[in-house]
Amino acid sequence: MNRTSWSRNVGLYLALIFIAIIYVGPVIMVVNTSLKAKQEFNLNPSSLASGLHLENYANAWKKASFPLYLKNSLFYAVVATAIYAVTAVFVAFPISRKYVKGHGWLFTLFVVALFLPNAIIPQFQLMLHLRLYNTQVGYILLNLVDAIGVIILINYVSSLPRDLDEAAAMDGCSYFRFVMQVVFPLMKPALASVILLHSIGIWNDYVTPLIYLPAKQLMPITRGLMVFYGQYGNDWTTLSAAVLLLMLPMIALFLSLQRWIIAGVLQGSVRG
Amino acid sequence: MSSTLYAFGSRKSRLVPYLLLLPGLLLYLFVSLGPSVATTIYSFTDASGLLGTAVHWVGLANYEEFLFRGANARDNWEITLRTLQFAFLVTVVQTGFGLLAASLLNQRLRGRNAFRTIFFMPVILGATIIGLMWTLFLYPLGGPVEKLLNLLGTRSDFMGGPPSEAFYWIVWIQIWANMGTTMIIFLGGLQTIPNELHEAARIDGAGAWATFRAITFPLLTPSLNTNLLLNIIGSLQAWQLMLVIKGPTNGLNVLGIWIYALAFGRQSNNPTQAAMRQGYGAAASVLLFLLVLVVGLTAQYLIRRRERRLLG
Amino acid sequence: MKRRWSLVLLCLLLVVPALAFGQAKTTLELLIHQNDPMVNYINSMNEKFQAKYPAITVNVSVVKADELATSTQTRLTANDVDVIDMFGFAQGILPFMKGVDKPNWQTLIEAGYLMDLTGQPFLKFYDASAIKDAGSFNGRVYEVNTGRYAFTGVFYNKDLFAKYAVKVPTTWSQLLAAAATFKKNGIAPMTCGGKDGWPVLVAGYGILLSYYPDQAALVKGLWTGEVKWNSPKSVEMWKRMQILARDLIEPGASAIAFDAAPGRFASGAAAMLPAGSWDAPAIQAANPNLKLGYFPMPASDNAADNKYLGGKYDVGWVVNAHTAKKDAALKWLDFFSQPANYQEYVTATGIMPTQPTATLNTAFGKEAKPYLANFRLGFELLWANIKGQGQWMQPNASFFKPFNQWEDPAKLADQVQADLEVALKAAK
Repeated sequence: MNRTSWSRNVGLYLALIFIAIIYVGPVIMVVNTSLKAKQEFNLNPSSLASGLHLENYANAWKKASFPLYLKNSLFYAVVATAIYAVTAVFVAFPISRKYVKGHGWLFTLFVVALFLPNAIIPQFQLMLHLRLYNTQVGYILLNLVDAIGVIILINYVSSLPRDLDEAAAMDGCSYFRFVMQVVFPLMKPALASVILLHSIGIWNDYVTPLIYLPAKQLMPITRGLMVFYGQYGNDWTTLSAAVLLLMLPMIALFLSLQRWIIAGVLQGSVRG
Repeated sequence: MSSTLYAFGSRKSRLVPYLLLLPGLLLYLFVSLGPSVATTIYSFTDASGLLGTAVHWVGLANYEEFLFRGANARDNWEITLRTLQFAFLVTVVQTGFGLLAASLLNQRLRGRNAFRTIFFMPVILGATIIGLMWTLFLYPLGGPVEKLLNLLGTRSDFMGGPPSEAFYWIVWIQIWANMGTTMIIFLGGLQTIPNELHEAARIDGAGAWATFRAITFPLLTPSLNTNLLLNIIGSLQAWQLMLVIKGPTNGLNVLGIWIYALAFGRQSNNPTQAAMRQGYGAAASVLLFLLVLVVGLTAQYLIRRRERRLLG
Repeated sequence: MKRRWSLVLLCLLLVVPALAFGQAKTTLELLIHQNDPMVNYINSMNEKFQAKYPAITVNVSVVKADELATSTQTRLTANDVDVIDMFGFAQGILPFMKGVDKPNWQTLIEAGYLMDLTGQPFLKFYDASAIKDAGSFNGRVYEVNTGRYAFTGVFYNKDLFAKYAVKVPTTWSQLLAAAATFKKNGIAPMTCGGKDGWPVLVAGYGILLSYYPDQAALVKGLWTGEVKWNSPKSVEMWKRMQILARDLIEPGASAIAFDAAPGRFASGAAAMLPAGSWDAPAIQAANPNLKLGYFPMPASDNAADNKYLGGKYDVGWVVNAHTAKKDAALKWLDFFSQPANYQEYVTATGIMPTQPTATLNTAFGKEAKPYLANFRLGFELLWANIKGQGQWMQPNASFFKPFNQWEDPAKLADQVQADLEVALKAAK
């Protein structure tokens, strides 16, 4: 390793660390604030926490109704994603395999989704007319569609060999059983990415619950946290603890499933 | 085009793929595509959004009001212009920043995966967490960034200050939040460039910047194009972060948040005047759609033209 | 295997709606906006109400004030709410107004969303003029208004004033002198909830009132062209609004949320707080030892102009006309309106009562009493937005730096007047 290489590496590391500071700084601020007493923060928001006021976390857990909101978030994400995943595979597979007439049009139909006008207004009217406003069913219904996921699945199916279909059919396997028992397991990589992206999207969604779930008992954590912020907006120590309580499991989840999430992002960016 | 060889039987069982496809398709048409198209029809009515109120067909009156009626229209043009500014700033800086980060991470350095994780993390944290986190970080009464600015002899009220200033802070947070995606796409592109090319350039005596300009950047064109298009279209329509951080605010609004404000009665501080105007909001939606279409297609055309010139 | 999964999914789809709809008792859905003293009072009152009527449960939703209009409309149209807190009916269309937006409450009434409460027995507890002015339309009653707040005054810390030998200012120059004294001694002259925007707007209303004590005449004058936003008198007013926003209110106020401002003022960080009288209970709660005072914003050089207090009719109760729980809603309103309960409400929230039998007996109430005889309805209650009216058509102190972009009062005055004239022209 010669000198120019060494100084080049140092330069690169410095650049990386500089960017890392920009990314980690706000997180550190949240952690630091969550360990302070309220007066301590008001006196000097930037000072290092002098003690460990862990009661902020207990307060946040209780006052921000974490168990309720987390339960709701989990429920919506799991149920909507499960239903979506099943329906999406049954949509993607025949389109990709060209087993349905008009598969080309159908494919275009999904690609076009990204370019259409904002649908929130007619969706709102739809929910009103179906009397699904402020219901879990209504909210889940709104989260059962995701065109990008379907496109990712369609692309992945084309990489599965057709011989499998023929072999299964020759063995007397029905279409339905084939998709459920053979295709689903084979789609695991793409499905994992799609499921993760879709459920993360639902988990992080703030606008839809804001409009459709005014009842506190039905709110997911994103809305719940903002409601808490609206009521205790100056209580930054408790608020930071609440934000951190939400961040930590998400970071943990991300670290363990990084590979799939990043793969999903990459696949989703490929234009059909 | 007829469907290709279907091996699973004939006659009755031939319908099975269609039947199983139906739930997903119907959901999509019903919940997503249908409403998107319906927005256009809505825009020609004076619907308030309240059930049971009379709805009248008003043709282009909403568009006329939005674009040409009184001082209101001036505000709307300001919003449109601001949306374009937002999209431009976010796209340019986010793409550049993402390219920089990806280039750094593409070097054979130890611990680069840890850095990659850190830079990508905000993408999955979501608007609520990021909005609250940055509102705290940019605390105007003695927060860390405020203290830093004081050292540099200035101060700021950040997102609570004059909208012209708050705008840039929100642009920055938007970039910060989404740079990870851009970076990942560039990384993917960088990793498809064979090392031999870099080796060859080095042997020929080319410096890092020359190599980048002549070899890396042109070969990155597909990733660059993907990023540019995704960022342009995404940032033209973005508003969730702005909603979390500030809410609809005169002088700060972009089209996305303004549509929400019009549709759900948050266009004014004054509760008596904050009426739901869903027909009018739908017209604004269609205008945004047209904006995205025009800017997106133009960008697409220019980008593809450059791609053809570069890569043949 | 596939059958088991489809069964699971089917069960989920059936159980979920059951969870959402399964209720045996009556649940009364109440929607109110965030205001700590009021929220606390309503919660404690509901406990008493539920004790009296065990078959009724009251479910309270609290939203921020800027989300109230949205929640009201979306939940009303979805028939998802029963009793709603709505500000007193304001901005009614007067005969000389053309091409103005209908006020939202009128749209809701005409669409049949607000229940007609005319003749309800509990209305007799209230002041007839309050019912008429703040809750009626076309001779029918739709809202039970609970009281008024003043919003053109300034809270002051009597101890700090005494400490630095500052007297209650009755003219503008006295106010500036007082502010200078406090600044010299390291105390912020004023604080304000700048983060939410509207507190600075409200702070400026006192200045508007001193220049135009008859706000109804102001509205009419703007329509006829007699009064202009960029007349020399008005420009002087804008100049003083700028001083308020830029010099009197402490720097960094944009970090302070509207409900944090009382606490900050109560801690002694600032000597004054230009805010609505709704903040009084929160201030006293934050610091019970604080000796609290209130005086009208002395924006004029002439003390005689500065003795008015402007304000608004505030919280009122409306009922969803389509509610299935009409009986429960009316019982709730009746319970609220009982003089004993109402008096507690007044004491808790510091609102100026609309029931003749109730009195505001708090320290603050006694302080404000001498000015109440000169109570005026504020401009924002009277001005109906003209269609096409631009964003600058508002006497808003927060247009100035550091809250917004304007630095030249004369230029802003011209802009405001221009916005008005464009709208007036289009309205003909």
